[in-house]
Amino acid sequence: MNSSSPDGVKSSADYVKVQRNGAVIFVCTVLAWYLFSGAAFSADKKTFPEGKFNNDQCVQCHEKINASLVAEWRVSAHAKDEPVANCVACHGDSHSGAAVKARQDETCIACHGGQKTPVVHSYANSKHGLILKLEKKKWDWTQPLAQANYRTPGCAYCHMHAAGHNVSAMVRNQDLLQENKQEINAIKDARRQVCQDCHAPRYLSRLFDNGEKMLEIARMKVREARNLLLQARKQYTSEELKSAEKRYQEMQSVHLKNVYLGVAHQSPDYQWWYGQPALDGDLLRIKGDINELERIKNVNVMQKTQCVQTSK
Amino acid sequence: MKAKRVRYIWIPLIIIMIVVPVGFYYVKWSESGAGAGLYSRLWKPEPIFSYWDPDNFYESVKTMTGVFKGKECVSCHAAVTPGIVNDWRKSRHSQAKKIVYCSDCHGHDHQNLHLPTPKICGGCHTTQHADFNDEKRFGFPSHALAMDRAQDAKHFVDKPKAEVTACLQCHSIATKCDSCHTRHQFSVAEARRPEACITCHSGPPHPDDETYFASKHGQIYLAEGDSWDWSKPLRKGNYKVPTCAYCHMNRGKHQVAEKSIWKFGLKQVNPLTSGNEVKREKWVKLCSDCHEPDWARQQLTKMDAERKRAWKKLYAAEGILKDLRSKGQLYPSAKQRPPYPTDSENSFFQMERIGFFEGQASAFYNVSPIERDYFNMWYFDNLGAYKGAAHGAAEFVRKGHAAMDSALENIRRNANVLRTLSEAEKKAGIKPEADAFWKQGEYTDYNRENN
Repeated sequence: MNSSSPDGVKSSADYVKVQRNGAVIFVCTVLAWYLFSGAAFSADKKTFPEGKFNNDQCVQCHEKINASLVAEWRVSAHAKDEPVANCVACHGDSHSGAAVKARQDETCIACHGGQKTPVVHSYANSKHGLILKLEKKKWDWTQPLAQANYRTPGCAYCHMHAAGHNVSAMVRNQDLLQENKQEINAIKDARRQVCQDCHAPRYLSRLFDNGEKMLEIARMKVREARNLLLQARKQYTSEELKSAEKRYQEMQSVHLKNVYLGVAHQSPDYQWWYGQPALDGDLLRIKGDINELERIKNVNVMQKTQCVQTSK
Repeated sequence: MKAKRVRYIWIPLIIIMIVVPVGFYYVKWSESGAGAGLYSRLWKPEPIFSYWDPDNFYESVKTMTGVFKGKECVSCHAAVTPGIVNDWRKSRHSQAKKIVYCSDCHGHDHQNLHLPTPKICGGCHTTQHADFNDEKRFGFPSHALAMDRAQDAKHFVDKPKAEVTACLQCHSIATKCDSCHTRHQFSVAEARRPEACITCHSGPPHPDDETYFASKHGQIYLAEGDSWDWSKPLRKGNYKVPTCAYCHMNRGKHQVAEKSIWKFGLKQVNPLTSGNEVKREKWVKLCSDCHEPDWARQQLTKMDAERKRAWKKLYAAEGILKDLRSKGQLYPSAKQRPPYPTDSENSFFQMERIGFFEGQASAFYNVSPIERDYFNMWYFDNLGAYKGAAHGAAEFVRKGHAAMDSALENIRRNANVLRTLSEAEKKAGIKPEADAFWKQGEYTDYNRENN
């Protein structure tokens, strides 16, 4: 092996000699490759320790290596809300394939309720979601979640863009019924950072503004119902208003939220069929319910007065 | 005598000469507003409409000046919007002998850019564009007429435009080719797969996704589709089971309307007219790529029967509603509802809209609860059953019909309440005035002022 060391190939005469012996060069190459990759491998070992870790261990070490990442995670809903989604929950308990695992939608969906829940379904049926479904197997998931490295965004591309670990940055955390301008502007900025990897700035700002308007229109429907109920509660018992109250709850917790998800994930179905016309239906039925109670009351009152009159 | 008769011919001639130009003028005038379509004078577009209906509303960005060549567009946008350049590099446009650059579709002048509409794509893809335009002679539902019909719909005109933007995203199938061939790869293989269709062909009124995926065809696609060679054209022998495009755009013909017999299940049709027989034979021929022609005919006959059953139920419900209407028992009545922009046109003859031909499609807002019940029965339960029957998903037929049965029962019950109440009111001498809240409220007011 020593005789065929790379040093022996320095002069051109030697080179010609060795060239005749293809096998020697092959061995050389293999050896060089082995040494190089061996070195790379040992360097790898230094950065990514082998073995299994629990969350405390992850945090302890990564707080020194990339403190901002851990800090971002700490302020996010993943760290604050129960159950906590910690490092191990998304990355697994070892370093091998940890980033690739966390980048893929399946990891998020496992906790976020599965394919049929609105939050997942609204994305899955969007153009982004469907292209991802068709192409994800061909993509190189070792690439960072930035700079349009992926043809369409998956959950993490937007919500953890460029390895940002505050998943709440782009999500409305306040009550959906409250229009919080400060929060909206922060979300707008965060979204712009992500979406402009592919989309034009004017398209984005028009899309965002339209989305906000659409959501505000949905809120108007909910508020119209709320005001009706505030009046009705003074006149009727909670038992009488049971179905109207149920519809009002559904407006807030299901249909308004659907409009929000439809706007956020760009799903026409959620903006429309599961959203706006559903709210229209809720509103007119609440009106109908209250109206019916009133008509029954009026008839009863009139019948009683008539009874009194005839008995007199 | 003869001369007198000849003289009378002038009367209808003069009337025609007046009426026809006036009619033309009126249509032109009504289309000259800020919006688009027949009611363009009644609404104004939102800024985002420029992207959904570029032919009518797109205006170029003015932030950049300069006239650029294709290569220059690419080199700058690789930094500005890398995603679209990555996509284009993978597309056939960038690999063709004569490369199709950004500027070939968007224009060279950055102050005067345009979005590629079907007309622009059709400049090269002539066959596809001609097939696509040809759909118009089959009427709606069709892709080519989707935008026109959306913008002429009563509820589109009536509602705030930021709300009905939701409609345009799907109806822009008429105005942009990238609904199916997503930008900037414009892949043919992608458009062949069912996933290309289901962002729009999903949801309660057209669960094409759920019904197809639940069918045997769809189940096999889900299990094996990823391993198929999607570069193959959609013809006999190339695919184990049919997908959306295999049947509806067979051999890549961009014509989804030419075989439509039952018209989405929206209205009752006579499936046995000579025109529909021609369409039926087209289906039989298509199914015969795999099945016996007789078997295919039987399946189509089964669908006729399913539709007949469905319409029996729907007409029963319509009958109940029309009975209430004739007795003035729908509450609030059309006159007691807030007047929407399109209502001003028929303010002399206000009437609750019941059934397809009276405008059932818009009867989901500003109606009484029982009318909305029928809307749900017609648009959700009925169409769900229809899609189940069309795509071979028996469970959806069963579920749809069960839902229609219970909806009909519910409508009967609610109609009884309305009858009893108005009879009792009559007896007691009460003339029910509609509550103020039918005409007022935050959304209701906003809606009236913002179209």
